[in-house]
Amino acid sequence: MLDKIIDISLKYKLLVLALFIAISAFGFRAYQEIPVDAFPDITPKQVVVYTESPGNSAEDIEKLITYPIESALSGMAGVKMIMSNSFFGLSYVSVFFEDDMDIYFLRQLVSERLGGVDIPNGWGKPELGPNTTGLGQVFWYKIQDETGKLSLKELREMQDYIVTPLLKSVTGVEEVIGWGGNEKQYNVLIDTKKLQNIGVTYEDIITALQKSNQAAGGQYLEFNREQYLIRGAGLYKSLDDIRNSVIKSGKGQAVTIGDVATVETGSMPRFGAVSIDGDEAVMGMVLQRTATNAAKVVQHIKEKLPTVNSALPKGVSVEAIYDRTEITHKAVSTMTSALITGVVLVAFVLFLFLFELRSAFIVIISLPISLLIAFLLMDYYNLSANLMSLSGLAIAVGMIVDGTIVVVENTFRKLHDMPDAPRIKVIADATKEVAKPVTFAVLIIVAVFIPLLSLDGLAGKLYSPMALNIVFVMLGSLFVALVLVPVLAFLLLKPTKNADNALMSGLKKVYAPLLIFSLSNAKKLLASVSVLFLVLGFVLSQQGREFMPELNEESIMYRVISIPGTALSQSVQNASEIEKHILKNYLNEVSSVLSMIGRSEKGETAQANYMEVLLTLKDGIEDLPALTDKMNEDLKHTFEQVAFVPTQPIAMRIEELLEGVKAELAIKIYGHDQKELDGISKAIQETIANVDGLERMEVETQLGQAQIKIEPNYLSLSRYGISVDEVMQVIRNGIGEEEVTQKIEGIRRFPIVAKIKDAKKDIQALKDVTLRSSNGSLVTLDQICDISISHGASFIKRENLSRYMVLSMEVDGRDVASFVEEANRLIQKNVDMPTGYYIDWAGDFKNMKEATDKLMVIVPITLLLVILLLYTAFNSISKAILILINVPFGFIGGIIALVMSGIYLSVSAIIGFLAIFAIAVLNGIVLVSFIDELRVKFPHVDLKILLKDASLLRLRPVLMTAFTTLFGILPLLYASGVGSEIQYPLSVVITGGIISSTILTLLILPSTYLLFYKKEHTTNTNNKKD
Amino acid sequence: MPSHKIFLLSITLSLSLFANEIPTKHAQQKAFGKSVELNAQIVQLSNASQSIMSLVGGRIQKYFVRVGQSVKEGEKIVLIESIMLSNMTANFISQKKQLQAQEKNYQASKSLYEKGMTSMQELNTQSIQRDEAQARISSLKSQLNTLGINTAELKTASSNFVLYAHSDGVVSEILQPLHSSIKEDTPIISITKSQAFYLKSFLPLEYASKVKIGQKIVIKTNTKNIVSNVTQILPNVDETTQRIVLLSSIDEITDNLYVNAYTSSTLYFNSTKKYIAVEKSALSFYNNEWVVFVPKEEDHNEDKHDEDEKDHDEHEGEKHEEHDDHKDENHNEDAQEEGHEEEYEARVINIITQDEKFAAVEGLELNEEYVSDKSYYVKSQLLKSSLGGHGH
Repeated sequence: MLDKIIDISLKYKLLVLALFIAISAFGFRAYQEIPVDAFPDITPKQVVVYTESPGNSAEDIEKLITYPIESALSGMAGVKMIMSNSFFGLSYVSVFFEDDMDIYFLRQLVSERLGGVDIPNGWGKPELGPNTTGLGQVFWYKIQDETGKLSLKELREMQDYIVTPLLKSVTGVEEVIGWGGNEKQYNVLIDTKKLQNIGVTYEDIITALQKSNQAAGGQYLEFNREQYLIRGAGLYKSLDDIRNSVIKSGKGQAVTIGDVATVETGSMPRFGAVSIDGDEAVMGMVLQRTATNAAKVVQHIKEKLPTVNSALPKGVSVEAIYDRTEITHKAVSTMTSALITGVVLVAFVLFLFLFELRSAFIVIISLPISLLIAFLLMDYYNLSANLMSLSGLAIAVGMIVDGTIVVVENTFRKLHDMPDAPRIKVIADATKEVAKPVTFAVLIIVAVFIPLLSLDGLAGKLYSPMALNIVFVMLGSLFVALVLVPVLAFLLLKPTKNADNALMSGLKKVYAPLLIFSLSNAKKLLASVSVLFLVLGFVLSQQGREFMPELNEESIMYRVISIPGTALSQSVQNASEIEKHILKNYLNEVSSVLSMIGRSEKGETAQANYMEVLLTLKDGIEDLPALTDKMNEDLKHTFEQVAFVPTQPIAMRIEELLEGVKAELAIKIYGHDQKELDGISKAIQETIANVDGLERMEVETQLGQAQIKIEPNYLSLSRYGISVDEVMQVIRNGIGEEEVTQKIEGIRRFPIVAKIKDAKKDIQALKDVTLRSSNGSLVTLDQICDISISHGASFIKRENLSRYMVLSMEVDGRDVASFVEEANRLIQKNVDMPTGYYIDWAGDFKNMKEATDKLMVIVPITLLLVILLLYTAFNSISKAILILINVPFGFIGGIIALVMSGIYLSVSAIIGFLAIFAIAVLNGIVLVSFIDELRVKFPHVDLKILLKDASLLRLRPVLMTAFTTLFGILPLLYASGVGSEIQYPLSVVITGGIISSTILTLLILPSTYLLFYKKEHTTNTNNKKD
Repeated sequence: MPSHKIFLLSITLSLSLFANEIPTKHAQQKAFGKSVELNAQIVQLSNASQSIMSLVGGRIQKYFVRVGQSVKEGEKIVLIESIMLSNMTANFISQKKQLQAQEKNYQASKSLYEKGMTSMQELNTQSIQRDEAQARISSLKSQLNTLGINTAELKTASSNFVLYAHSDGVVSEILQPLHSSIKEDTPIISITKSQAFYLKSFLPLEYASKVKIGQKIVIKTNTKNIVSNVTQILPNVDETTQRIVLLSSIDEITDNLYVNAYTSSTLYFNSTKKYIAVEKSALSFYNNEWVVFVPKEEDHNEDKHDEDEKDHDEHEGEKHEEHDDHKDENHNEDAQEEGHEEEYEARVINIITQDEKFAAVEGLELNEEYVSDKSYYVKSQLLKSSLGGHGH
């Protein structure tokens, strides 16, 4: 079949050229249009259900909202895990599904199930969270007020009613979330003392407000052949309308709201705030819809911004704070520049080795064409150009040319050898000769990387685009080598004298004596290399492990945590102080500081004691890590009242996605009673506090929220004739400020609340809140309720229907795996777990473990596949094994490089080893197949001499493939900038591996071959006479 | 925080700098007078509108006032012609004359007796007669006095009886027509007292034991505060509102007091007991208890002593204390590692009472130093280190 393809392509040369021009053109278009992204979409399929239940406590929300939702959603098809968080005012349930399910179908399923959930009246309605991914916050902006005259409330109103609707209409935008400032509401401040004076109850006031705010349609009447519509316009138009609402009337006189209350414009109780450079501000966050491209969405948003700004009043504008495309462009340009540098370096190396323009041109032109084919395939399979997929191309750059080199080299040689034979036949034969090994080489690379696609979880999502792209580009290069290259060779190649250039002869002078030495000391060498490999294998097993090297996003961000129960106002003050401190002390580095405190109003899970501080850095900072370290220390010591956790915008979201734990390593303690969990977590903390490498330990204290509990006293209630319902209504509406009705101003709606005046001044004021029963008794809350203060749950986390608590930690100066091992041993030994309580490790570490476990399966399968391929190629098991012996040669260099550079064994490094595996096998194939070829040609020559000649003859192609691969990967090794560190371990391992693999292949493989086939060869020489 | 200090002090020292910002004070004795704000209603009690009654029967001869006319105390209101009064006055005058005669007789007999011209018995008889006459006249005198008639000036019998206003006020109604004849104890005219405003303050039952007659009540009106005192605690609780009703009279005259209007009043209990007090800004809710933070004492024995003292406390409280102590040891370990110590510890206290600014507490000794403000920061420090180490 291969032969046929070659024949056909040589026959229709013009067509082939046209085809490739077309492919290149389309490939280039694909390259330009391919969506760019920083990362592959690593987020799991999840549907979030959140229920706002204003003012209610964590315990009640868990009992009355979260649990019913959880149990309704569990047992759905494809559910992997259900996690929930219940806290003050919000229930948050997140359902994780299998990745292959359609998100719209899942949302449909979930909302169907939600229909059956029974939540008590007045406790909120469950809603589906925005259809976005964990990395969906692509664009942050603030509402900038140049005039300085507008209040936060006005800015927030503009955000909600001007900016949000406009941005929501942009393609790909799922939701726009406003954060910070104050939301307007109308307060009806009731003086409860006056309830006695006019003889009404609190309930009467609420009813009065609701009944006075009505509109009705009165159909129409006909008059003089015309139609007149009738409209009852009873909605509140002004504050006076509210004041004049009648509560009750009698004797021709009316008691109105104005008699018992003052009406004013106020602010809604809030759960979050935003502070920029020391002052409160209003910001917005744009969420992208699932399966849209961040860069495109941001581009569309930016196109819309002029419209938005023109809709805003003069002096007010929308200003970008954070823009996902920045990091995307940085990451993509890191990789593109690595790719381009790689291409240039490879071309240079080729030219150096070949020293012949025409053949060099053919090989070099195959590079971009293969890459363009890969882009075409990426476009077809909807892969985005991101850090991982592009790095796949960068890794493969050196390997792309291997096939072409072999074909061109062979053709070149053949043309030189047979100058008289018909050119087209020579080229066809030469190509056919190497078609099989080239195809197998590519297939082996594919075989090595394809199993990576079966990795699941985060590792799979991260690395499969890379593996896929390597496969794409290798297949592309095979296609180029077999179809285009013969045609180009026919058109371009000229038989010239195949002379070694100076470089090659120099290299050969060094190589020849070494080879002779190794051939004569074959056994000893093999033995010592084996020992070396075993030793290094042991060293590797001791090497630290980590899941993923930290991505450098070239930004500084902090998670700042205060003690549970911290008031929002205090957090705002903390934020302002931190911002001012940073701006003052890092004047040259930091241009702006943004703090997002608590949560925005739409289904986020943070509380007022939590904030995220993002620094906008100035350009031209030389040593970002040093600055980061300095700032970390400084902030930690300056602000003793809070805990700082350094992070970065994307990294933070990824961390969050990892099991809902915002840390690289965490222990989850499962069990029912929170106090018990608290105790266990304290015991664990004490136990592992002194384990080496523990940098920071944080417990997510779920308790610690001071609560004022108002429990109705039934005896007193009956005495005064007040029902629990009335008390709860006062608590809900009068104290909790729940909306009673709305004031509708055009499309804007603002809640009207019936607030009890001064009820929340202090605890005593709360106790003194007065109620009037319908029969006239006046009582204070204290009289009819038992009011107590205690510490309760600040939030309650659940996973798969069980409560749990998180103890998160950071490990530094040591690999996570060994830390976990030691800590786990200590915990088993020292911490006493009651029945029904158990712990589980989570965070980054868990992903690493899952990935490693999976790799334990993948690697043997890969090995088997490769052996199978080798066997098919050589039709001999011993050859296959002989070639596989090369693999440890490569690993030796990889391990040495890894250990020397002091990096941990990460998934990235493991993939590096896989790549070495492929390279080593390729090196082996090239040499072994050539030796075989020579053996067939010269069956009578002494094997040792034959091996020597073969190796010397093959030095150029072996070195050439090695150097192209090496130089292809070098730019990744020296790359700096966003995303470079993720591929660093991989490139370190590959670099070391290529060097050792090439050297050892050239020296030890011939020796091993000698050991393997010494006997056989002698018998062969004797027996074979033909 | 002066900025040059930052440069002078190294980062490690900045903690102590930070600590210096935490203000401390010493616990002081303070008198706690409590007050409570009440809902109150301005009323006019029924006895404020007075009917003037005639004490004698007779005929109404003349009204000196008209309806709506304001009168002063002692002003003539009505003239009544009374036969009974005329009898009484006539009787009084005759009795008076009779007494004078008796007196003369007695004096005569006395001088005769001294000269030995008459017997002792005669003199005694004379004396008894005189005393009888005297008794009769004083009985009449007191009757007349009750009617408001000055007997000393009574020379002739008169049937004219004048009624005077008892207090300042306005004539609100004339009850009997002119020239009608009336009996004893018939209301003739009604006068509304102009200053008879009372304040009815409604006091929640929980304060029942504290309120006493004479305690100060301040009524807030738009223009000024009127000070008054509890004059009466009504025995019946107001049935609809279920509150105790306090009465206090409003003696000051202001223009904008209207009967039946509601207002608010503040009742001051004069139980001024002295307690050890801390500023309210020092209070913090920590580990399920109210605490104030106190500087940590160096001596560990001292701590023990403290704990012993607190043995009287509830059992639970004690358990907590132990727990805290345990934690403190942890802090110390941490602290040694990090090279600085926690400077404060939490002291469990019991809030007895509080006013606007201060809280009376148990659990703190007189003059003991405590963190008077920014207790949040101290709490943060304590809780943060209990979460484990934070950096090296």
